[in-house]
Amino acid sequence: MHLGVLVLVSTLSLATPTRSAPLFEEMGGAAALHSAVDDFTDIVVADSRINFTFAETDLAKFKTLLYEQLCELSGGPCHYTGRDMRTAHQKLQITTAEFNALAEDLYVALGHAGVPYRLQNKLMAKLAPMKRDIVK
Amino acid sequence: MRNLGIFIACAGALLAQPVLAQRAPFESPLKPDLGKLPLTAGFTDVDGAGGGGLVPWAIITGYGTSDSWGANVHYTLVPLNDFRLQSYGFAVGALDRIEASFTQDKFDATGTPLNGLSVRQQIYGLKLRLSGDAVYDQDSWLPQTAVGLQYKRNTGISNEAGLTSPLQVGADGDSGTDFYLSATKVLLAQSVLIDVTLRYTRANEFGLLGFGGDLGQGRSVEPETTVAYLVNRKLAVGAEYRAKPRNLSVDDERGAWDAFIAWTPSRFGSLVAGYANLGSILSPVTQEPRSQSGAYLSLQAGF
Repeated sequence: MHLGVLVLVSTLSLATPTRSAPLFEEMGGAAALHSAVDDFTDIVVADSRINFTFAETDLAKFKTLLYEQLCELSGGPCHYTGRDMRTAHQKLQITTAEFNALAEDLYVALGHAGVPYRLQNKLMAKLAPMKRDIVK
Repeated sequence: MRNLGIFIACAGALLAQPVLAQRAPFESPLKPDLGKLPLTAGFTDVDGAGGGGLVPWAIITGYGTSDSWGANVHYTLVPLNDFRLQSYGFAVGALDRIEASFTQDKFDATGTPLNGLSVRQQIYGLKLRLSGDAVYDQDSWLPQTAVGLQYKRNTGISNEAGLTSPLQVGADGDSGTDFYLSATKVLLAQSVLIDVTLRYTRANEFGLLGFGGDLGQGRSVEPETTVAYLVNRKLAVGAEYRAKPRNLSVDDERGAWDAFIAWTPSRFGSLVAGYANLGSILSPVTQEPRSQSGAYLSLQAGF
């Protein structure tokens, strides 16, 4: 029992957030995020699990809005100007599997852009609750 | 002429969107959707439930989402100093809500005066997710919770010493049911998974030595925990502890713990390797007081 408690406590203390630069800067700033968004869009359009949900999407506009959103969420100097998530996805009837496929593609793109996994997870932690608004 | 016009219109429509397929893959709930993210379906614990190595998690096994289902088979090998535990079985998870599992255990003495003893046990498991989502609810501290039960039944002991039933070592029964409540949370921003499970049990050494005994007949609440760090999308490392009751005077039963590394190369399978320490087993009988420890290896294949 003592071991379990010890591991738990030490992990929690490791997990305590430290004061540092915003996630946006940690991830590599505008250059890394633009690169990730561009790559992500390419990956999604080639992903047969979900690309049909982008059939009527203006990809240039999508990239701009996604960049704004990820930048703002990670504490960067941006303001998301798109629709709220519920309105934007209402017609698409997105499933949990499709939401997860998209998340997986974003993980891959962030990795390609040089964002370390632990920072990918920090960003994903901010995106994950959006599932409630995005999935039908 | 009219048909040709329709044909051209259709062909034109198809050509205009060459890449973008129809939404077909996820339509039927009977079709496995492989919809969870790799790693997030967990592994198979020593009792056959979706979880870590020693501890069941609140996560429903398999890669099916709430729209679908998943299933897997597993083989686990735990070679200890003087004993060897093997288990194999299968599990099904449906609608990200309910899990059913079947596991066959084989526990052999490979040293001490008990060398040659072989105990078999079957485990039937059920798990129901109650609330929450371990992965998505990142704006809340609430974990995913589930309740489960495991019906365990001794199906035979073979040896040269004439031992045929756990009752002969002082157990009160050769079958029993564990009940558990699990809470699992992924702290995504910290890349950490935490599980806390409370088990209401009277199983001796996971049920391998029967249920209840001369020191205690009733069930007790035993705590269990897993803490894991997510190294990348396919790799996690962690440690676990599982308390066990002590009901038999012939077995100075202790808690068990492990440390593991889990690798999920794809949604179709995972490999967990590590070190397990199950505490001393039957030491008043074997005269071997040391903890029974060794490798922990578990393979899971499924969807």
